[in-house]
Formats: sequence, structure tokens, C-alpha cells
Amino acid sequence: MKAAIRLTRVGPSATIQDTGRPGMLQHGVSESGPMDRGAFLRAGMSLGGAGAAIEFTRAGLDFSIEQGSCRAALAGGSFTLACNGAPAAWPAMLDLQPGDQVSITPGAGGNYGYLRFDQEIDVPAVLGSRSTNLVAALGGLAGRALRAGDGLGLTSLGPATTQSPSRPPNESGPIRFLWGIHADLFPPAVRQAFVGSEFTVSSQLDRMGVRLDDRGGVFAGAPILSLVSDAIVAGDIQILGDRTPIVLMRDHQPTGGYPRIGTVISADLDRFAQMRPGSTLAFAPVTLQKAHELFVASVL
Amino acid sequence: MPLGDRGLLVRFGRTLSDDANRAAIAFARQLRARLPDGVREIDPNLVSVLLTYDPRVMAFERLAGEVRLLLSVAPGAASKAVPGAQRIAVTFGGEGGPDLEEAAAALKLSPAEFVAAHNSTPLRVLTTGFAPGFVYCGFHPEALRLPRRTTVRPPVPPGSILFAAGQTAITATAVRTGWHVIGRSAFRNFDPSADPPTKLLEGDSVTFVVET
Repeated sequence: MKAAIRLTRVGPSATIQDTGRPGMLQHGVSESGPMDRGAFLRAGMSLGGAGAAIEFTRAGLDFSIEQGSCRAALAGGSFTLACNGAPAAWPAMLDLQPGDQVSITPGAGGNYGYLRFDQEIDVPAVLGSRSTNLVAALGGLAGRALRAGDGLGLTSLGPATTQSPSRPPNESGPIRFLWGIHADLFPPAVRQAFVGSEFTVSSQLDRMGVRLDDRGGVFAGAPILSLVSDAIVAGDIQILGDRTPIVLMRDHQPTGGYPRIGTVISADLDRFAQMRPGSTLAFAPVTLQKAHELFVASVL
Repeated sequence: MPLGDRGLLVRFGRTLSDDANRAAIAFARQLRARLPDGVREIDPNLVSVLLTYDPRVMAFERLAGEVRLLLSVAPGAASKAVPGAQRIAVTFGGEGGPDLEEAAAALKLSPAEFVAAHNSTPLRVLTTGFAPGFVYCGFHPEALRLPRRTTVRPPVPPGSILFAAGQTAITATAVRTGWHVIGRSAFRNFDPSADPPTKLLEGDSVTFVVET
């Protein structure tokens, strides 16, 4: 009998995510995919082969097994876990039978956690991916966030389930970035202040972007520019019209016309995504070569 | 220039101009004819083309070298291929085009004169961006240039025809917009079940006609 789960409690903005939907920027669709790609991969690695994930947010998720059996892996951030009322360690691997109830509640840190199974989540692939793009209402379960009461069937894994390994980040220093496509439009004093200042993660964060509190007023005097709209990539640090810095994340708009001072490197984007509101951070520039070295080290 | 650690952005200008857009389109078509090794995807924009790559497979310097080489040679036959042409029937004004009268008045034209001027010459698809299947078409002559509205409207439905900044845009999904909403069409440029999901390609010719 095929396994099926029922979500009994769902925090806001929980979505189905797989490795993402590359190649669609030219059609106006951003890549999506897990906010913490490394954690998503590590959950899959521990299963040997895994399907798409349920990405849940700080409030977590409760679910029960309606029928069939499955093996589940949980990773990402630090959540509190209980299986049939018994506390369990995090990250976790669970062998689940019909009637089992799993409760994931807020833990010590992180914004995103991943629930993956040794089977595929039975939702259709859209443009080659099961990832939910909330902005474009594509993929996942009818293009929307998951809700309490939703039922999801599990089905056999497709052929392309090779799992890339990933190392958990052990850095705690500044978030490293490359100077961006508009860096030269910012006065040298602003660029210097950007590197030397602390920012705070604001409470306005989602899969599209994370707004930062510019406590030091780095961008308070920055010129407001009218720029030709250009391609955006995940990690771009954009300065909005009201001079709020925002780091654009996996469901970013495909193009934008606000100036971008830099781009967070791939190796640090997962760590940044897990920083909770109120966390302080500083930015440090690196060379492209260094960014590539750190990326390769993070995935091998 | 690098755009993050997985992107190479080839810019043909820093402001929107006909020349820069044509150059970006020609380069995109050249890339579509022969994609350099190690390139994951290409993404043409108004005045640039983004190439994304996997740094484990392709070194940035090598890719940059290939791009420089491509830019130094004349575009091949493939990029000179005849662009597609699309006729788009539009119901101007009314419920689907609440800003038609205001836009026409701002240009000192009657709505009928505005529609005739708007439809008088074919436009070029400048790029797809902003939202799924959302295309920018241009350029209108100077006499038809109008800035965006000062306020942003709640989401307008797919097929809305937008007008501002010497361009006409066609929405393919519900989007918020600060452009003048001048009409609505049954044309849909985005279908996630189709491959490719969009019908219009940068450089294609678009002729707007009045829906009859």
C-alpha cells in the first residue's frame, strides 16, 4: 500500500521544495528550491535516496501517517522533535508506520527545516520541478503554501535521485559577498561603511527576500538611482527606494531595477537564510576565486 | 562581469537604448544557436545577457574568454534567422483598460487616436522578465512616451496590456503594476504545461490590432 501523510498543524509558508527549477529565468521564472540547500541535501543523504522535501518554517509542522510505511529524515536549523509524544534528537531519521504522529515545534535556532522521505511526494512536476514558487503560484501543491488538513501521497522515487553531499557550515563570521553589478554606483564612503557596519535581520523575511535593519545608517545618504532593469540572482543585496537593504532569496523576482551593491556567496547563503530576526551580521567582501573555493568545499 | 559566483553578466549598456537592446538580443540568439560548454542557462535582459555556470565544471575566466571570443566574431547565420511575428488582438479601454482615456489625454489624443497611433507600427519584444511570461515590447516614438503612474494598482489579470516609458508590456500572470492599463487580450504568453512555457522570444515582432 502506498504511504500517505496528513498534515495536522502547519506553520506559515511551509512549501514543497526539490532542487529547484533552473533554466527558467529567460521565461520570467526564478529557480526556487530550498532556502537552506545544504540542509535539504543532508536530509536526502542520510536516506540514500529521497524525493522532494517539505520545507517548514520556525513554527514547525505536525503530521501523521495515514497509511503505508516510510522512512523520514529531518534536518535544518534546530527544531524540537517528538514522535508519538516521545522526544527525539535533531536532526533525525524516523521509521514511520500508520498512525504514527510526528510533531516538529520551534527549537533553538534557524528559520527553515526539511522533511524528506525515502519516497517521492506525489505532486506533479511543473517545468521540470516540484518546487513551489509562491510568487508565481507554480509547483508544489497547487502552487500554494501547505495548510493544516492537506494530505500528501508518497510514491516511488524517480530516476534522478542521486544525492549530492553537503557539509554543514561551521562558520560564524561575517557573511561573505562579491561586489555587485552596481557597486561602482555607490560612493566609496558608502561601500566602506557597508563593509564596516553591523546589520540586523528584520522580521520581514520570506522566500523572496530578507530585509535588514540598517542600524548604522549606511545607506541613509546613498543616492537614489533610476536603473535599467537587469537580471537578479539569489543572494543579491539590493537597496530599495526607501534605502532598506534586502537580500534577495530563492523566490526572487527574475529582474529588478534597484541598485545592488553585492551578492552573498553561494557558500554563505544557507547560513544567512537560517539567521533569525534580531540576529546581527556584518558583510565581508571576498574574491570570486575565494567564493568558488568555499563553494567547492561546502559541497564535497 | 561576475553576477554572484555562478553568473556572468554581459552588459551592452547601462541605460535602455535601442542599440543596447538589439545587441543583447543578437548575442542571446547567437548563444541559443550554440551554447558554450558549461553554461547552465542564458537569460537575456533589456540591455544584457546573463549566463549561469557551475564553477565546479567551468572556470569563470575560461567562460569569460569564450564570451569575448563570441563577441568578437560576427553573429552567425542562426542569429540572423527571421524573428517570429505575432499579432495580438486587444480590447482597448473599458473594464480591461481603465487607464486608456487618461493615457490618451496625457498625450493630447482622443482614445481612438491613441489606439491608432499605438497600433501603427510593429514593436519588438525587448525581453521577458519581471514575472512569468511578462514581455516588454518597444519602442514607441517619442510622441507616445508617457511616464509610469504615480501609484501601483492591485494585481491586474493575465493578458493585460500595459503602457509606459515608450513601451507596451503584456502580462501573463496576475501582477501589481504602476503602468497604465490600456486594454486586455486573450493572448497568454505563459503556459507551465508547454515546452517552452512562453511563446514570444526576445527580438520577435509584435503587432497589436483592435479585437473585432
